[in-house]
Amino acid sequence: MPKVTINGKSIDVEAGTSVIKAAQLLDIPIAHYCWHEGLSVAGACRMCLIEVEKNPKLQIACNLPVTEGMIVHTDNEKVRDAVKWSLDFHLINHPLDCPICDQAGECKLQDYYMNYGLYNPEMAERKQKKNKAVSLGDRVVLDQERCILCSRCVRFTNEVTKTYELGIFNRGDRSVLSTFENRPLNNNYSLNTVDICPVGALTSKDFRFKQRVWFLKDFDSVCNGCSTGCNVKISYNNNGVFRVRPRVNKEINGFWMCDEGRDVYKFVNREYRLDQVVERRDDFAGASVKGKPVALALQEIGHKIKDSQKLAVVVTAQYTVEEYEAFFELFSGKLKSTKFYVWVNNEETFESFDGLLLRGDKNPNTNGLIKTMKKFGIKAGLWKDFEAAVVKNEFQLAVVAAPENQNVYPELNSRLATFEKLEDVVWLSSCVNDRFKNFRWQIPMKSYVEKSGTFINFKGVEQKIKASVKIIPDAIDLIQLSAGLSESIGVAR
Amino acid sequence: MSVVKRPSQKAKWYIPGILTGLKITMKHMLFNLTHRKEMMTINYPEEKYQYSDRFKGNHILTVKKDGSLRCTACMLCATYCPAECISIIAAEHDDPAVEKFPISYEIDILRCVFCGFCEEACPVDAIRMGPEHQTAAIAGERFIYDITQLAYRPENKGGVLSKVDDEERHRRGL
Repeated sequence: MPKVTINGKSIDVEAGTSVIKAAQLLDIPIAHYCWHEGLSVAGACRMCLIEVEKNPKLQIACNLPVTEGMIVHTDNEKVRDAVKWSLDFHLINHPLDCPICDQAGECKLQDYYMNYGLYNPEMAERKQKKNKAVSLGDRVVLDQERCILCSRCVRFTNEVTKTYELGIFNRGDRSVLSTFENRPLNNNYSLNTVDICPVGALTSKDFRFKQRVWFLKDFDSVCNGCSTGCNVKISYNNNGVFRVRPRVNKEINGFWMCDEGRDVYKFVNREYRLDQVVERRDDFAGASVKGKPVALALQEIGHKIKDSQKLAVVVTAQYTVEEYEAFFELFSGKLKSTKFYVWVNNEETFESFDGLLLRGDKNPNTNGLIKTMKKFGIKAGLWKDFEAAVVKNEFQLAVVAAPENQNVYPELNSRLATFEKLEDVVWLSSCVNDRFKNFRWQIPMKSYVEKSGTFINFKGVEQKIKASVKIIPDAIDLIQLSAGLSESIGVAR
Repeated sequence: MSVVKRPSQKAKWYIPGILTGLKITMKHMLFNLTHRKEMMTINYPEEKYQYSDRFKGNHILTVKKDGSLRCTACMLCATYCPAECISIIAAEHDDPAVEKFPISYEIDILRCVFCGFCEEACPVDAIRMGPEHQTAAIAGERFIYDITQLAYRPENKGGVLSKVDDEERHRRGL
């Protein structure tokens, strides 16, 4: 294990580690654009220049493996001057687009200019003009002028997705990033190139011009788009949730996440949500009554459950482990005649896997549901059992823990017909749909950004999520629901 | 405690006091009649006082040569505004040279403190503080100024031209 000293701090690292990685372990910042931990080394940007003692010239930290007794300086006058000149060359053709550039505020060019630059540009030549706002595919927009040709995105498509869509064409100051003819950047991981772009060259069509980044706050969460459970950070402000980006977790998702997972934030915003209790009233000619307090509604539902002889409980794998525990404790405890059914979505593609991250099981907590069911000794039926039971007219009442993200339930509309055959349905849902009005009760539920709990992913890794925002004030989770119901049913919890 | 002021002998001599007052009034009236240019007061609703160009009154959104808004919706004014009275919604323009433009630009004039920071923050001379100072209105919603009010109100005579010109900048290679 060679020992390296950087700015007076020593560390033992494995042989073959680069100096920039060793500095990262010591929390010493080294300016860089092209180096990325999840990609190969390119050595293109020349920003990570460092001084190694007994070496006459400056070296690039990303491509220099540590050797025994190496002494490195990253913050002396010589290094700062060299970095300043590297930055000056990067900015020669860079347009002053910051006011309309989405990257402004999290741009490495701005950061390093403030740290190392602070010079007046001395170029007398005109800037090279290239194409602006080039659409690369369904999700990504390229601004060729802003690109500093670090080639991170090219290496990403070559090494991670192995789809080879991007390339750098022409030479010298006419070099541009582009796609090949008739081969747009449409793979399911394309938005990672936007994340790793250190400048504003690649921007996301979905997030473009929605918000300035300094108006947004981030919180850590776990993606609920599929059973992989990628670690994400979600950006939000008072106007809602705006984007999802990956968080580094080498055990689960590495540095990346899929584009499908980035759309998962969309259903949590206020305009797509059920915000109050909706009750179908027969005495008002089947009209819906909105706005009853949740506590009162739960009391009435509790009385109904108490009176009904046979009760069906249908669950989806979109809730947290803690919620399932409270829910099953209530329904498998005293309400012995309850029958449980699991609603599995995407049955044909359930086991599929795209080789990188995305799985066919579009629920975050399938393993958590199975585990909790085992714990309570529940033998649940599948959808066809439920359908058969409904046809036989076995139940009057069904409590349905409905999907939070109804976009990943393509069979939803066809299955609603089965529920509509029942007399009374308690539909626990966070989303709105016109056809839900046929159900007796709709109770607004919290989405995954509003509640705390545990998701268990496909490997069995338990991951905690934390309540971070409040979007619908009246929404409850299954724990609050079980508490409210048990009070009115009279089951001690 | 109550104070009672009894009429004194001196108070009987009120006539000279009235005459002194009348004399001052008459002096000013005669001066104003003969020197009308130097008069301090104006007939307000008909005549209006012209403030200096540095006066910080109601905001103006400037326009480009073709009459469209100069604003690029960078939201620096909204960021800098201490009263948080500016709200902008940005959108993508069809012309790639423009790229970003505001589809909604609203100033809540009742929250505005007329500090002029928006004018200072603007990188493209898109917002200025104008000479008008009357912000009276009847209905509450009239106090939220939108693009029509800020850029194309009758006082602006079809729009105030911005000093920053994109074509000019492009020609200079910026």
